Amino acid sequence: MPISRDNGKQAAPAGGPAGQAALTITGLAAGYGDTPTIVDVNLTVHRGEIVTVVGPNGAGKSTLLKAVLGVLRPMSGTVRLWDRDLTGLRSDQICRLSVGYVPQVQDTFPRLTVLENIEMGGYTLPRSKVKARVGEVLDLYPQLRRMAGRQGGHLSGGERKMLAIARAMMISPALLVLDEPTAGLAPQPANELLTTHIAALAGTGVSLLMVEQRAREAMAISHRAYVMAAGHVVLTDRADALLARPDIGDVFLGRTAAGEGA
Amino acid sequence: MSPAIQSYAATLLVYLGVNAIACWGLNLQFGIGGVMNFAFILYQAMGAYITAVLTLPAATTQADQRYILGLHLPWPLPLAGAAVSGAALALAVGSFALRPRRRDFQATVMLVVSIIAATLVTTEQGWFNGNQGLFGIPQPFAGTLSLGITGYDWFFVAVTLGLALLTLAFTGLLTSAPWARRLRAMRENAEAAESLGVHVRAESLKVYVTGGAIAAVSGGLLVEFIGAWSPAAWGTGETFIFFVAIIIGGLGNNFGAFFGAFLVLGVFLELPTYLPQLSDANVEESLQSAAIGVLILAFLWWRPQGIFPERKRNLSRAIPAGARAVAVAEAAGTVPDSRNEQPRQREPDSHAAAAGTLSVRDLSRGFGGVQAVDGLSFDLAPGQVTGLIGPNGAGKSTALKLIAGAIAPSSGKVLVDGVNVAGWPAHKVARLGVIRTFQHTSEFGRLTVLENLLTAAPGQPGDSFGGALLGRRHARARQQELLARAWALLADFQLTAAADSYAGQLSGGQRRLVEIMRALMAQPRILLLDEPMAGVNPALRLVIEEHLQRLRDGGLTMLMVEHELGSVERVCDSVIVMAQGRVLATGTMAELRRNEEVLSAYLAG
Amino acid sequence: MSQVVLSLGFGLVTASILALGAVGFTLQFGVTNLFNLAFGENMTVAAFVAYLARVSLHWNMWLAVAAGALSGAVLSLLIGRLIYQPFLRRGTSQFAMVMVTVAVSFILKNVLQIFSGATFYSYQLPPESPIRFLGMVFDARQLTIIALAVVSLLGLHLLFRYTRIGKAMRATSDNGELARSVGIPTDRIISATWLLSGLLAGLAGVALAIDLGSFASTTGGSYLLLIVAAAVFGSVGEPYGAVLGALVIGIASEVAANYNPQLKDVVAFAILVLVLLVRPEGLRGGRVQLRGEVTV
Repeated sequence: MPISRDNGKQAAPAGGPAGQAALTITGLAAGYGDTPTIVDVNLTVHRGEIVTVVGPNGAGKSTLLKAVLGVLRPMSGTVRLWDRDLTGLRSDQICRLSVGYVPQVQDTFPRLTVLENIEMGGYTLPRSKVKARVGEVLDLYPQLRRMAGRQGGHLSGGERKMLAIARAMMISPALLVLDEPTAGLAPQPANELLTTHIAALAGTGVSLLMVEQRAREAMAISHRAYVMAAGHVVLTDRADALLARPDIGDVFLGRTAAGEGA
Repeated sequence: MSPAIQSYAATLLVYLGVNAIACWGLNLQFGIGGVMNFAFILYQAMGAYITAVLTLPAATTQADQRYILGLHLPWPLPLAGAAVSGAALALAVGSFALRPRRRDFQATVMLVVSIIAATLVTTEQGWFNGNQGLFGIPQPFAGTLSLGITGYDWFFVAVTLGLALLTLAFTGLLTSAPWARRLRAMRENAEAAESLGVHVRAESLKVYVTGGAIAAVSGGLLVEFIGAWSPAAWGTGETFIFFVAIIIGGLGNNFGAFFGAFLVLGVFLELPTYLPQLSDANVEESLQSAAIGVLILAFLWWRPQGIFPERKRNLSRAIPAGARAVAVAEAAGTVPDSRNEQPRQREPDSHAAAAGTLSVRDLSRGFGGVQAVDGLSFDLAPGQVTGLIGPNGAGKSTALKLIAGAIAPSSGKVLVDGVNVAGWPAHKVARLGVIRTFQHTSEFGRLTVLENLLTAAPGQPGDSFGGALLGRRHARARQQELLARAWALLADFQLTAAADSYAGQLSGGQRRLVEIMRALMAQPRILLLDEPMAGVNPALRLVIEEHLQRLRDGGLTMLMVEHELGSVERVCDSVIVMAQGRVLATGTMAELRRNEEVLSAYLAG
Repeated sequence: MSQVVLSLGFGLVTASILALGAVGFTLQFGVTNLFNLAFGENMTVAAFVAYLARVSLHWNMWLAVAAGALSGAVLSLLIGRLIYQPFLRRGTSQFAMVMVTVAVSFILKNVLQIFSGATFYSYQLPPESPIRFLGMVFDARQLTIIALAVVSLLGLHLLFRYTRIGKAMRATSDNGELARSVGIPTDRIISATWLLSGLLAGLAGVALAIDLGSFASTTGGSYLLLIVAAAVFGSVGEPYGAVLGALVIGIASEVAANYNPQLKDVVAFAILVLVLLVRPEGLRGGRVQLRGEVTV
C-alpha cells in the first residue's frame, strides 16, 4: 500500500543541498562492551522521507538509534546530518543540532498539561517565537488543541505518543528519531498513530527515522525501509517493494535472507 | 594506678563492652539483614527500663519515684527479662513496620515509632517516673561481694566481658551459618531471594527480633552499671550514632562493628575530653559533636565501605583439591584415571527432581487498563523444553511472573502438579520446585559466586534461625555436598576461576550464567527461564543450550521465554506463540514459520 | 465545641508554618530525589539570623523576616552545591545520602549550639491584643503568619504555572532525562530549587520562632518530622499535596492537643505511620511501585 500524498508532493523526495541526504550513516559499528552489536550499517534518510528500520529482537535496532543519538559512542563508521558530522557527539549536543527524539518510554511530562508539555519542547527557542510555533504544532495535531489543559499523564497511550511527537516537533528538527512509537499500544491506537499522526509528518519537510515492531503497518506509511537481523542490514528497498516480498516473514522468524538459521 | 584512674578505665571498658554488644545487634539487623532499624535506641532503652524495674525493690518502699513491677530479682534474671522484652517489642513493632516493601518506608515507620515512644515515656509518670527517670538501681551482687569500689568496678568489667563474649559467640554462630547467607541474599536482592524460596518478611522479622533482644541486653547491662535510668539518655539521635559506628567500622562483619564501636563511641566521644579544656563544657561538647559530623562526612566520602569492610568468604577452600580436579576433568570430557581412550559419555544432569507438570488456565492480569495477560491457557509437557515466543508486548514475561508468584493474577489458575498456586507468594511457589530466572540479571552482588549458588539449595541444615544455632558442624556435611555440586556446575560452565569472586563484579554474560546455575542449584521441578540468552555471546549461547538439553534429558520441565529464535529452534521440543496476552499457536518452529497468523503477529508487532 | 473551633484557629496557624516547611522540603525531593533531613536545621539558622537582625541590629521585624528567609536560601544553596551535589554526582546510594544529610544536620545544630548553648532566644515582640474571628482567637502576628503563608504559596503557584522557570522546575521534577533532552539546564534548575526550598525553610523557621515565642538550637530539628509527615501525606515531591498534608496534620494535631497537649505530636506521627502502612505513595502518588513490576 503506497503512501497517499494528500498534498500532492512527490513520494520519493530529492535530497537537500547538493542532493545530499539529511542523515547519512556509513559503515557504522557500535555496541556495549568489547564486541559490537551492530556492524557495517549503511543507512540514509532523505529530506522529508519516512524511513523505517524493522527486524526481530536482538537485531540491533535500538543500538542503531542509540549510536545516532549519541547515547552510545560508535566504534567505527560515521553519522552525518547534512554535512555535519555527528559521530561521537554526546546526546545533549546532538539534540541541539536539530535532531528531535521521541523515546520509547517516559516520553512525556506526566504532571504538566498538554500545552505545557509542548511548550517545554520549545525551551531552547527564543521566547517570542514559542507561542507561534506552538500554534503551528497544534495545527498539525488538532486533537491536542482540544486537550490543551489536560495533564500529560491522563492521556491514553496513543494520545501521549502524539503529544511526545508534537513536543519533539517544536524545534522544527531536521531529523526526527522515533523509538518504537507503537510499543505498548493496543492495535487500534497503534494503527491510528502510524497511519494518521506519523504519516502526517511526511508533509512537513522533516526527515523521519523510525524503529518499529509493527513492521507491516510501519512499512505501509514509509518511503523506504531497512531490515536488520543479527546486527546487520540484510534487506533494504522501497517500503512497498519490501512488503511485497514473500520471504520477509523468514527474516523475522529466524532465517536470514540467505536461508540460514539466525 | 590511683583508684580514680582505675575507676575511669573500668568505666570506659564497660561502655566499650556495652556498645560493642549493641553494635553487634545492629550489625545483624542492618549489616547482614539489610533492615534499616531506625528505632534501634528504643530497644536499648526498653532493655534498660525493664532491667531497672525488675531489679528495683517494690515501688512502695521508694516513696521518691514511681514505677511498675519492682520485683527485685536476682542477677541475671533482670537481664534475661530485658532480652525477652526487647524481643517482644521488636516483634510487635516489626509486625507492622516491616510490611512496606521499601526499606526507607520501613525505616521511617520505625523512626516515628521511636519518637512517639520517647514522647509517651516522658508523659507517663506512673510507669516511667517522667523526665527524672529511675535511680538507685542496685548493682548486681553489690551487697554480697565485699570488693570495695574499685574492686567492684573490675568485677563488672569481667561481667561485661563475659556477656560481650557470649554475644560475640552467639552472633558469630548466626553469621557463619547458611542462614546468614540467606539474610545477605535478602539484603542484596530481596525479590531474587524470594524467588528462591526465602520468605523475606519472616526472615526480616526474625533478624529484627534477635537484634532487638541483643540491644535490650546491652541497655540492661549499662543500667546495672550506672544504677540509674534516664529517658534523656535514650534520645532518637543515639540511633544515628550507632549507625555511624557500624558504617565507619565496616558493615556486615562483627570485627568491623566492634571497631566502629571502639572508634566512634570510645575514641570520638571520649578522646576529645583530653583536648585543651575550653571554659564552657557545653561548647566543648557541641564542638566535639560538630567535629563528629564532619568526620562522618569525610568517611562517607573517602571510605564509604568502612574501615573493615565485610570480608569475602572464600568457600572454595573447603572443597578438597582432588574433588575440584575431578570435576574440571569431567567437564572437559575426560576422567583422569580412566583407561579408556574415549571420553566418558556425558550423563544427563541430575539437578532436577522428578519432572513437574504445569498447566495454566484462563490466566489474566491487567495493568492500568491494559490487559497484559488475557485468558492464557496452556499445558507444559513434563520433562520437555517448551519455548514461549511472541512479539514485544505479548505478555510473555508477565506470564512467567504470574506463574512464579511474583505478581498475583486477577483471575485464572496455575496448576503445579495439580495444585493451584495462583496468588501464592513467590517463596511458597519456589518451595514447590518452580524456579524462575530474571530478565535483568539479579545476582546477589556482594556474595561470591559459590555463595550465590549455595543460597539457592533448598532445605539446608542451618539455613533457618533455629538451624543456625545448632552450629557449623550440623551444617557441614550437607554444605560439603552442595559445594561439590556447585563446583561441578561451575566446571561445566567453565567458571571455576570465578568461584570466589563477588558476583556483582563479573561481566554481564558471566552474571547471566551465575543466575542460571543458581536456578539449577535449587533443584527445580519446573524451570522458568526469562530470556536466558539476552546479552549472551554466540559461543556462550551454545554452552547454555547444551546444558538445557542435558537437563531436559535428565527429566526437567522447562518453559523458556526467548527472542533468540535460533536457540528456541535448537533447544525447544515445542513452542507456544503468545500475542496480546493469550496463546496464538503451538507447534514446532518449522510449523509456526508456515503459520500465517504467527507471521502476521510478528510483522504486525 | 467552642474549644474545638478555638483549636481550629491554632490549627490554621500551625498549618501555615507547616505548609511553608513541607512545600520547601518536598520541592527538594521532587527535583533532586534528596530526602533532606538537615531541613530543620536550615530553619533554625534562619530563625537565628532573624534574631540577630532584630535584636542586635534593631531592624524592624519585617526586615528581620526577610533576612532570615534570605539566609535560609543562601545556606541551602551552599550546602546543596558544596556538599550534596558532589555526593549525588558520584552516584551515592539513597541510604548513604540520608546519612549525609543527617551528618550535615548534626554539624549545623552543634555549630549553632556552640554559639547559643541551650539558651532560648526570643524576638522580644511586644504583646498584642487578641483579634476574634468566627470563634477563633488570633493575635495580629499569627494572622500575619497565615497571610505570609498564603501569599508565599500563591506566589509559588504563580511561579509554577505561569513562569518559564517554574514550568522547567516541574518538568525536571517530572522527568529529569526528558527535561535535559529538551534543553532544560537541569543543573541550574536544581540550584534554583535549593534556593527556593531554602527560602521557604527560612520563612518557616522564622514563623515558627515567632509562633512559639522563643526558640533554641534544637527547635527546627524537632519540627522536621512534622514536616516529613505533611510531605509524605501529600506524596513526597508534590507541592500541592504537601499543602494538603499541612492542613490535615496541622489542624488534626491542634484539635488533639485540645484534649491533651502531649497528643499534639503523637497524632501527627500516628498519621504518618498510617500513611506509610496503608498508602505509602501518599494522597496524590502513584509513582511508587508496590508488589511486582508494571512491565509487560
